[in-house]
Amino acid sequence: MAVIVVGVSHHGAPLDVRERLAFRGPDVLPALAHLRDGARTREGVLLSTCNRTELYLVEGEGDAVSAGWALLSQRLDADASAYGYVRRDRDAVAHLFRVASGMDSMVVGEAQIHGQVRDAWEGCRPAAGTVLNRLFQSALLVGGRVRSETTLGHGALSVSSAAVQLSKKIFGRLAGRRAMVLGAGEMAELALASLQQEGVRAAVVANRTFARASELAAQYGATAVHYDDAWEALADVDLLLCSTAAPRPVVSAERVRAAVARRGDRPLCILDIAVPRDVDPAVAQLDNVFLYDMDDLHAVVNSNLARRHGALPAAEAVVTAEVEKFWQWVAGLAAVPVLTQFRDEMNRMRDRELAETFRRIPDLTADQRAAVDHFSHSLMNKFLHEPTVRLRAAAANGHGLGIVDAARYLFALDERDVSSSRTDVPPREPERRDDS
Amino acid sequence: MTAIAHFVAITCYIGAAALAATPFARPVGPPVRGVAALLAAGLLAHAAGLFAYAQRVGQLPLTGLGPSLSFAGLVLAATLLFAEVVARDVSLTLVAAPLAAIATMCANIIGLIPGVEPSGVRGAWLIAHIALSFLGIAAFGTAAAAGCMYLVERRELKSRRFGAIYRFFPPLATLDRVNHLAAIAGWLGLTLGVVLAVSYSLAYREMSVLKVIWAMGAWLAVSGIALGRVVGGWQARRAAIYSSVSFAAVIVLYVAFRVAETNARGRFL
Repeated sequence: MAVIVVGVSHHGAPLDVRERLAFRGPDVLPALAHLRDGARTREGVLLSTCNRTELYLVEGEGDAVSAGWALLSQRLDADASAYGYVRRDRDAVAHLFRVASGMDSMVVGEAQIHGQVRDAWEGCRPAAGTVLNRLFQSALLVGGRVRSETTLGHGALSVSSAAVQLSKKIFGRLAGRRAMVLGAGEMAELALASLQQEGVRAAVVANRTFARASELAAQYGATAVHYDDAWEALADVDLLLCSTAAPRPVVSAERVRAAVARRGDRPLCILDIAVPRDVDPAVAQLDNVFLYDMDDLHAVVNSNLARRHGALPAAEAVVTAEVEKFWQWVAGLAAVPVLTQFRDEMNRMRDRELAETFRRIPDLTADQRAAVDHFSHSLMNKFLHEPTVRLRAAAANGHGLGIVDAARYLFALDERDVSSSRTDVPPREPERRDDS
Repeated sequence: MTAIAHFVAITCYIGAAALAATPFARPVGPPVRGVAALLAAGLLAHAAGLFAYAQRVGQLPLTGLGPSLSFAGLVLAATLLFAEVVARDVSLTLVAAPLAAIATMCANIIGLIPGVEPSGVRGAWLIAHIALSFLGIAAFGTAAAAGCMYLVERRELKSRRFGAIYRFFPPLATLDRVNHLAAIAGWLGLTLGVVLAVSYSLAYREMSVLKVIWAMGAWLAVSGIALGRVVGGWQARRAAIYSSVSFAAVIVLYVAFRVAETNARGRFL
């Protein structure tokens, strides 16, 4: 048995290749059924997202890798292997764990891939078996662990979510906070949408073009006002979002100072996402005013990105530990055919020795023969009981592979064509091959 | 037993503070469970140590400087653990856990020598006064810790630095709320403590001038914050500055009185 992943991703395949290789829902199961034809694969799951198309396969009798590339190349109408990669066994398992954790994503640590892996597995359940079901279950668990135990998924990576993050640092929960929007451009709308998702209420929208202000105000249940009337309301809001197209600052320190004087100790957060800036930099010096411009929001994004990359070694440690755990489970699967082979071999030996004994002592009565047969059977069972129990236990607790190998060696099972019954035995040294 | 338990408690408090600081050094999330577990372990050891002490000397660890300081450390650690479990945030540990460790350490350096504890109603009266006063001081300390953290984080946010403090400190509003609640709790505790102390002095004609000055100073300080917050509408920076500076002043005053009072050996003051 070998676990294989054949696929392409954003690392090696340009967008037009990924577009052509994307599988829609109804195409997935027929594609996997095609791979199972001729027993080339025993199990299969197809993961298709905008950034990757990957076939997770459990190899059958035939060459699963060639079959996988053939399928992808047929869809691409060109040689897909030129853009892709193959991972086997431990590497394949680790690859899926990284994918499910967002470590292999274009935006490192993004959370969407976790759901996409789950959906792919759910959609392919008819084509998945014991190994891939367990593998995908483990992958989802690893994704959860990485997300909760490391900072890989922490921090905003867009300007609008950075604005939310900064506001939260000042106000904690944003639900019920009031915002004023100055300028009704696209950026302001994006940032306002993010803030509204957190429960911020747009109170006032001010714009040079009153019609546009009214449009945006109606959308968010706010009041539209002209620029000159906006300053009165500044004392009553917690957030000021500035995004006008004005060539020079429209929010002066004097205007904000007057509003701040009427606010008491309540903090005011000003998010200036306009370029050129709408807010006079001197405003930042005012007490209880927190002013951030585009550079600051980008600094937050960059800091979060660096932090996510810094979390990769910790995430990798989780993946390594979980790969080992999964592989020990696979090793447990290997114990079953060896145990069967072991008992069959012992039974054959017992039959041979009994026949030889009965040939040497031909005068035995039927009862005596039955007694000797019973004795030999009982003795063999007694001898085999403890090794069987221990082998099963070792397999169950994840130490199966070494002990199974020892049993094979001690009882010379390898020499007696174990391979015929080793349908689930994993390779001892996984072959490393990467066609990318 | 008492010394070993105190040593374990101090180690756990310092360990909890160190663990709470790990997100500053490594890209990991706040280790809430680990910090809470260490604080709980420290509290258990600390409580066991004080229980053993109480059994040995036959009185509660509320009289005598060493036992009182140790008890104050215990109350501070318990308040901290409660606040962290409720808020699911461990950053307060960075300041409050070392404070608890220092109090416990000082208690052991000074020595756990019991004071003379009166019995009956008088004893209960005294113990209630001491316990409430310590609760008040612990809450005052928590308000000061939250205030300090508020000021540090505010500075980072104002100067647009988005480093470890930005990432791991709780929002300013949370620190402000902790400061507010702790100031009110501190005022309640200290007010009740002072009322009990005054009535005790009047009833039993027993008074220490230094103790009265210090206690009134502490009470005035915490009353100032509580009054400012509830009546004056203080928020944020003003309350944070006032609580941290006044708490520091109260501690400095105590140390000065301890140094000046040569006859206070083994007693609180």
